[in-house]
This record gives sequence, C-alpha cells and structure tokens, in this order.
Amino acid sequence: METPRNKTYVDDINRSIYDKKDKVNAAYQTSRGLTPEIVDQISREKKDPQWMREFRQKALQIYHELELPVWGPNIDGLNMDDIVTYVRPDTKLQLTWEEVPQDIKNTFVRLGIPQAERTSLAGVGAQYDSEVVYHNVKEEVKSLGVIYTDMESALREHEDILKEHFMKLVTPRDHKFAALHGAVWSGGSFVYVPPGVSVEIPLQSYFRLNAPGAGQFEHTLIIVDEGASLHFIEGCSAPKYNVANLHAGCVELFVRDGARLRYSTIENWSKNMYNLNTKRAQVGKNATMEWVSGSFGSRVSCLYPMNILKGENARMEYTGITFAGKGQDLDTGVQVVYAAPGTSAHMSSKSISKDGGTSTFRSAVIIEKEAEGAKCAVSCESLMLDSRSRSDTIPVMDIRNDNVDIGHEAKIGRISDDTIFYLMSRGLSEADARAMIVSGFAEPIAKELPMEYALEMNQLIRLEMEGSIG
Amino acid sequence: MILELKEANQLPVKTFRWLGVNELKLIKEIPEIKPFPPVELTGKGVRDAVIGLKHNPSGIELPQTGMGEETSAFLHRYRNREWAITVPKGKKIAEPLFLSYRLDQENPVLAEELLIQAEQDSELTLVITYEGEAGLPLFHGGLIYLLAGKNAVINLIQIQLLPGEGIHLNNIGGACREGASIKITQCELGGGHAVSGIMTALRGENSEMTVDTIYLGDGERFLDLNYVANHYGKNTKSNMRVNGALFDNSRKIFRGTIDFKKGASGSEGAEGEYTLLFDKNIKNISVPLILCGEENVSGKHAANSGRIDENQLFYLMSRGLSEGEAKKLILEAWFHPVLDTIPSETLREQVFGYVKERLNHVKSI
Repeated sequence: METPRNKTYVDDINRSIYDKKDKVNAAYQTSRGLTPEIVDQISREKKDPQWMREFRQKALQIYHELELPVWGPNIDGLNMDDIVTYVRPDTKLQLTWEEVPQDIKNTFVRLGIPQAERTSLAGVGAQYDSEVVYHNVKEEVKSLGVIYTDMESALREHEDILKEHFMKLVTPRDHKFAALHGAVWSGGSFVYVPPGVSVEIPLQSYFRLNAPGAGQFEHTLIIVDEGASLHFIEGCSAPKYNVANLHAGCVELFVRDGARLRYSTIENWSKNMYNLNTKRAQVGKNATMEWVSGSFGSRVSCLYPMNILKGENARMEYTGITFAGKGQDLDTGVQVVYAAPGTSAHMSSKSISKDGGTSTFRSAVIIEKEAEGAKCAVSCESLMLDSRSRSDTIPVMDIRNDNVDIGHEAKIGRISDDTIFYLMSRGLSEADARAMIVSGFAEPIAKELPMEYALEMNQLIRLEMEGSIG
Repeated sequence: MILELKEANQLPVKTFRWLGVNELKLIKEIPEIKPFPPVELTGKGVRDAVIGLKHNPSGIELPQTGMGEETSAFLHRYRNREWAITVPKGKKIAEPLFLSYRLDQENPVLAEELLIQAEQDSELTLVITYEGEAGLPLFHGGLIYLLAGKNAVINLIQIQLLPGEGIHLNNIGGACREGASIKITQCELGGGHAVSGIMTALRGENSEMTVDTIYLGDGERFLDLNYVANHYGKNTKSNMRVNGALFDNSRKIFRGTIDFKKGASGSEGAEGEYTLLFDKNIKNISVPLILCGEENVSGKHAANSGRIDENQLFYLMSRGLSEGEAKKLILEAWFHPVLDTIPSETLREQVFGYVKERLNHVKSI
C-alpha cells in the first residue's frame, strides 16, 4: 500500500504592486462590443488616414467571418459584447516624464519603469490602456538614425513604411483575434534601426491595462535593417478585476539580412486577462531572431511566436518559461517555418504547473523542401508540482526534405523526494528547498534576461512558490 | 464501394488546424465486400485457445480503438469475418499461433472483427501476416480488440506485406487489468495506404503496453499512425518505439500520445521515434504528445529524423561496399531488432527477403 505524501496548500499571496488599481480616469472610451460604428469611432478618434479606416472595416468583416479556433484553452469566459475596445486615458503623449499625469506616473513608478530607463535602457515607451502616454529615446540612440516612437506618430510621420509593413506578416485572415486586432488596434511602438547600426542597450515598451472590462490591442512593428542589431523588451501587467479583460496585441518583426533582434517579454497580466497575442518574425539571410519569453500572468494565454526563416542561414532561438498557478490556463510555445537552405533553430521551453494551473507547450516546426541542410533542436521540460494541475506537450514536426537534422525531446516529471531530502539535510526548509529547485529549473531562462528582468522573474517565482508547500 | 473516413486517427488533443494533423480524412474506392473464406489458426498450442464464431457474444464492454469510432463502425458494419480467440484462465500457450491472410482476385477484401481475450494468468502470442497479389485493388480492414486479464500477457505481431495498390486499416483497442501486459509489434512494410491506430487503456495497477513498429515508405506510399497509451492505473508503464525509412515521394505521419490520467501515480511512459530520410520529396510528420494530469509520473519522448550517419556510411564504404550496399546494410541492421522478434525462422527469412527485394527497387539507393 502506497503511503500518500503529506501536502499542505497555502493560498497564493498578493501580487502586490501589480494588483494596485488606479481610478479609471478615461478621457474617452467606446461603448462595449464590436460594430462597424464603434470601429469607425476609433478611426475618427485616432484621425486615421483613409487606407487605415478601410483596413479596419475590412478586418472587422473578416473577424465576423472567421470562427473561433477548435483547439486550445477554453475562452468561453470571454464575451466580446462585454469588452470595451478603446479607452483613451486623460492625457496626451508626453515626451518628458514630469508631464505624465500623477496617477499614471505613480503606476509606472511602482512598476520601476522610470528607474529602469535611467539605469539600463536606451528608450522607453509606456502604454496606459489604449494609448501610449510616454515615449522617450536617448539622444545618442536617436542620433544613430534609430526611430523609436508610438504607432500613432509613426502613422503620421512614416506612413509609407507603415503602409508597406502593417499587418503584412500577420494578416487579419490569420485567425479571428488577428482580425479583431486589425479592426480595433491602438497604441504600441514602432522601431526602425538603420543598416549597420547596433543599439547596444535595450529599448523597452511597457503595457499597462487599467480599465476594467477593456481590451488592449497594441501593435508593435520593428524593422531591424541589414546588419543592424537591437534588443527590445516588452513588459505587460494589469490589476485584477472581476470582469474579463482582453489583450489581443500583435507584434511584427522584420529582421533583414545579417541583422539580429532579441525580443524579450516578461508577461505578468492579472489573472482575469485573456491574453490572445500574435507575434511573428521574418528573418533574412544570415540574420538571427532570438526570443526570451516568460509567461506568468493571465487567466488564459495563447502565445506562439511564429518565425519565418526566409533567408539562407537564418537562425532562430527561443527560450521560454511558463508558470501556471491557480485558475490559469497558459498555452504557449513557438512556430518555425524553414524556407531557405542552411536555416536553423534552437528551442528550449520550461513549464511549471501548480495549484490547479494548466500549462501547455504547443509547437510547429515546418521544414520546407528548399530548406536543405536545416537543423532543429527542441527541448521541452515540464515540472508538475501537484496532481491538481495539468501539463501537456503538443509538438508537431513536418519535414519535407531529407537533408535535415531534426531532434526533439521532451520530459515531464516532478521534483524528486531525494533532491528535497538532500537540500533539507543541508538545513533548508521544505518550502525553501522547493523554491530553490524551481529557480534552478528556470535558471537557463533567467540568465538570458537583462539583470533587472531576471530579478523580476525570480521574484515572481518566489512569490508563486510561497503559496505552495507540497 | 466508397470508403469515406472524416475523422480517423484523431489526435486526442487538437492543435493548429493549418498543420492538418488533427485527424485523417480518407476517401478511397475499395472492391465490393463479399464473404471471406475461412482461414485457420495454426501453431502447436492452437488447441489450448477457444475459438468463438462471434466476436463478442456476451456483450462485454469493448475498449476504444486508435483509429476511432467512425472506423470501428465502418468495419463492424461491413465485416466479412467475425470471430474471437479466448485463452482460458491460467493457460500459457508457450508456442506462437499463426494466422496468414492472402488477398487476391477472388478475395480482394478482408474486413475482420476479432476479439482476443487472455483471461487471468494466461499468455498468448499471435502472429498475423497480410499479403496480397500485386496489381490488384485490395483492401484489408482489421478491428481488433485485445483484453488482457489480471497478470495476462498478449503478444500480437502483425506483418503487413500488401502490395502497393493495397489499402490497409488496422484499428486496435486494448485494455489491461492489474499486472497485465499487451505487446504489439507492427511491421508496416507494405500497402499503398496503410493506416494504423492503437489505443490501450492501462486500467490495472502495474499493467503495461509496449509497441514496436518498423515501416518502409517508397514510391507514393502513405502511412498514418496514431498510438495512444492511456495510463489510468498506478505504476503503469508504456513504451512506444517507431523506426522507419522514407524514400521517393512517400509520406508518413506518426501521432504518439502518452496520457497520464489523474490517479496514475508512479507511472512511466516513453516514446522514441527515429526516421531515416533518403529523398528530397518525402514528407515526414511527427506529433509526439505527452498529456499529464498527475504529478508523480515520469514521461519522455524523443524524435529524430535525418539522413544515414555519414561516419557509418564512410566506414562501410572504406571496407569495400558501394554506397548503395552500405545504405542497404545499415537499413537492414536498423530493422533487425524488431524483425528478430518474429518467432518463426521461415517467416523471418520471408520478411527479410521482402525488405531486400523492396530496397532493390528503390531508385535512391
């Protein structure tokens, strides 16, 4: 007869700084739901050029035509008729921190944004609800010809570039939420790095959704031109409300020949958030795309960055960690299409499920006929901290030529009693031993992050782990 | 008649639709189904097995199958052979039993429903061979249920050597009681369209399932596999090993799922898939799933595909073999561990001969 192991569960502790709600002080917001009139209101409010107005209406039409995905997490709790698609905070875009209204400023100060800007970033964008409220880029970066601005300004000042690139990688036909994004997008960042320019310190955009029952649909468009390099960091958070919030952002990344882009995300949305985000990169000849992704928040996440390795010897690296706690269903992963000879990718994913949370790793690797000499290595590890949780691994590999070297491995398991016993014999409490093992499990991801973010991630893991003594 | 399947070999959990891997859709014309002449079970221990003329006369609950309900319903409806093999309690049939089907002009279709039941503490090894006359439209559809009682062992070896025009559906559902074991070996070597699904419910504590499969795709051959190990009982084990080679324009999809249900603590599941690729026009799809609702389990899968190791090839060629001979030798060695488990020398020789003959006709060797 097997002796059941003793377990004690303690509720999650407060998410402290992230859950702090601000008074909703919107200058303008659309009605709930989604109609051509509401989409037109957004266009008017944002003074869209005619082509963008038409684009939005067309995307809305597609949204109504497409059905919901037949796979993935349950999103029944999300009723589009209840979502406010556009909330403009009561301020204009500010270029100096002092001008940002005090309540919004307080939020970002709590989240450490201005401090990070001073110490370790080349530029910062901060979005509050549907609009970017602060955007700044250091003079020395600007002088290199780097453009880092909010999407609305980009639409006015760089309209031709936007017309050529906006939703060309992720089209509204991709899926229902891409169509929704096309119809109601607002805010986000535009980055252009000229050929040969290396931006040594990262740029960062921080997205904060404050209004309850609202959606955030920011668009990020980054073009790293030939031989250039950039590290872009994205942070997301929101306070917890009892109604569903929706994040359906879209990220389009063009990494030209010989360029390098690292895109890091620490996502810590509140646990009422439906995070249905779409990210896609097109990678040119000898170029490198790197993703570092930490998913901690949201009620439901569907996030699978797609990489099109279009040029010869294009490379992609993905390092991701997902931590699903109570009430969370985090479905994350990565997709790669190998479309040229000599292309390669390395993917490493870790997931942790605890306290009834569900984490899923979902991937797609497509090696096209022309991708001679393609190389792919996928490693996927999952850790289950209790039997109320779930952890699923759903990879697909589709190989269409013989000159390839493809390896995939996955493991699932739990923390072994021997390891805990060993650490406890060295004087650690059981909780500390578990937290240490989980931090060690996440270490390969943490070391890919800039230090401030690695600390934030470790802090998040520690907060999550304090809730469980298993 | 028209065979139309819309949701065969369904993935237990769906994924991105654009990949087209969630299920198999198949529309094929197959010859009219007529009664199939009796084929006898042979082997030394055949008298120890009880043969029934109905597949399930007592109406016991039958397990779910790998190809799914739609295929089961089709085969049940159009079956032209229905029967059951029962090994009574405590009876261990030491010598293997053999069943050999040959499809030809007169009998081009076999749609079989078979229940194999090994009662408590019994054992059975059954070897089934499927062959056919080349150049004819042939169809084999098998709906096979495997019920392994407490501490019973069922060892099923299937050797599929149908010609390139043949369609082969192999729909297996198994269930294990405490301490029981189901071992399935599939040599999916022939058939133009070969579809195989295995689903095993490991219900009893300490029960286990192993599947060893080899396949050989050349010409326009298409192979679709869906193996599922459902771990319900404590300390259950599953292991799937799938090795194969793809030539010419052949296509293969392998879906392999280890599903640890809540309560299956102490269970282990492993899945390994290795594919050798020989042509730029092949299509090789792998979908290795691990689903987990239980903490105290260990699951792993590995999938690798690529060309033959150049060092191996170089070594053999430095010993005087041509590139083609070296490739053939490596490939035969690759199939050896599985073919060696065929418990009859004559049959083993026949299968080796079949593989050699097939490789002689492959353009890229």
